[in-house]
This record gives sequence, structure tokens and C-alpha cells, in this order.
Amino acid sequence: MSVSQANVSAAASAPGRIRRHLLVDRVYHWLMAACVLTLMATAFLPIIGYKFEWLGLHWTIGVVLSALVAIHIVRAVVWQDFWAMVFDGVDIRNGWRRIAGVLGGGRAPAPGKPGKYNGLQKLYHAGIAVLVLAIVASGLLMLLKIDTPLWRRNPYVLADYQWGWIYVVHGFAAMALVTMVMIHIYFALRPDEWRLTRSMFRGWITRREYEEHHDKQRWAADET
Amino acid sequence: MELFRYSTSIYGGSDLLIGASWDLLPWFVAAGAAFIVLHALVKAVGSRRADQSH
Repeated sequence: MSVSQANVSAAASAPGRIRRHLLVDRVYHWLMAACVLTLMATAFLPIIGYKFEWLGLHWTIGVVLSALVAIHIVRAVVWQDFWAMVFDGVDIRNGWRRIAGVLGGGRAPAPGKPGKYNGLQKLYHAGIAVLVLAIVASGLLMLLKIDTPLWRRNPYVLADYQWGWIYVVHGFAAMALVTMVMIHIYFALRPDEWRLTRSMFRGWITRREYEEHHDKQRWAADET
Repeated sequence: MELFRYSTSIYGGSDLLIGASWDLLPWFVAAGAAFIVLHALVKAVGSRRADQSH
């Protein structure tokens, strides 16, 4: 039984509610959100004119984010239903039908319901994963350029032009992350997506929401 | 508009690449805002059409 199925099974005992996110996953999400917002503030506020001693907080929170990401990767691969977040052929078919429905005035077959996550959520997650991994990898390398209580700086492991490209990757990924975070917050605040936002606070969606928005075959509920 | 930031090498020669240009930050913010406005408009028009057809 996958974690998705187990989550739903456990929630089936609570009438009318389907568990969507375990407490550990919600805590992870909000810790990561706090880290990303703090990192964005310490990175970009000095650039737009609010000068303060940003570097110490920035690298410390960056190390915390790196640890959180490492824990999340292990948890996603070992304990969670990894494939629930992977874009697949059914998502492509549903996406195509949705586009054809809009362009063809509703004459195309109706798209199927998604599993736990829809195709756009999966694509968004893939995009965020690429950006965050690029930021974490380049940021960890950049730690070699500063003195900390744990290590001494050693910038000579790479040539100047190599450091330049590492800073380019870090900078572009960080700016793209601003765009992605804006879009994420927008969807979280949309009334038609509020069930998902609530589930990230309280862990569950209602059974009616589950039946209305999700394919039982792709995100199975244990009807006990 | 520059895509990258450069500094002059202390050893002379060509400029040294030191990172992405922060002048691009408003464009990334604008891209997010444009997506949000566009999506909100599409959803609003779609829901209005659905209401009229019903």
C-alpha cells in the first residue's frame, strides 16, 4: 500500500474527511516556505536598497534549506508515493483534452480527473525542484568563499570564471524562484483552490471534494 | 540591458564574470504578475461563459 493509499485509509475513519497531507509533510512545507522567504528577503532587500548585514542569516538559512531538501528527497523516494508527483501519459492526455476543449468549443472529450496532484501541479513541482536544487548546489559551493565557525574559506578550489558561472546559476535560479513563489501564493489564495490550501494547514479535504476533484483509481480511497 | 555582471580583473585583460545582472529582477517579478493577471482574466471569462450557457 502506498503512502497515498494509507493516508486515505487512515482518514476514512474520520467521516467526511480524506487525509491529504501528514503532519510531517505540512511541517516540512511551512519550514521550507519560511526558509525560502527568508532567503529571498536576505538576498533581494539589500539589492533594492534596504542595506543590512544579510550574509550570516542568508548562508545559515541556506544550510537549513539544504538539509530540509535532502530530508524531503529521502522521504519522497523511500516513504512517500514518489510516482504520485511524476508527470505521466495520463496527465498529457488530460492536458491535451483540456486544451482541445477550450479551442474546439467543448467538442473534445472531457479530460479525466487527476490523482492526488494534477498535471500542472506536477510540472510546477518539477520546475521548483530544478530551481531549488540549482540554488542549493551552487549555494553550497559558494560557502567555500566565506569564513564560518565550522570551516575556513578556500576560494582557490575553482578558477575565477568557474566561480562566475556558479554565481550566475545561483542568481538566475533565485530570480526565477521569485516568479514561481508569486504564482504559488496566487494559486494558494484563489477561492477555487482553497481546499488545497486548507489541506496544507489542516491535512484533509472533504470526501465531497475528493469525489468531485480526484480520480479514485489514481488516488485510491479505502471505502471502509 | 545586461544579462550578467562583470568586474575588471586586477590582473588586467578581459572583464571577469561575477554573476547574473540584478537589473533583470523586475522582469522576473513582472513575469509573475503577468501570469497572475492573465490567468485570473481567463478564469473570469471562462466562468462568465459557463454561467451564461447554464
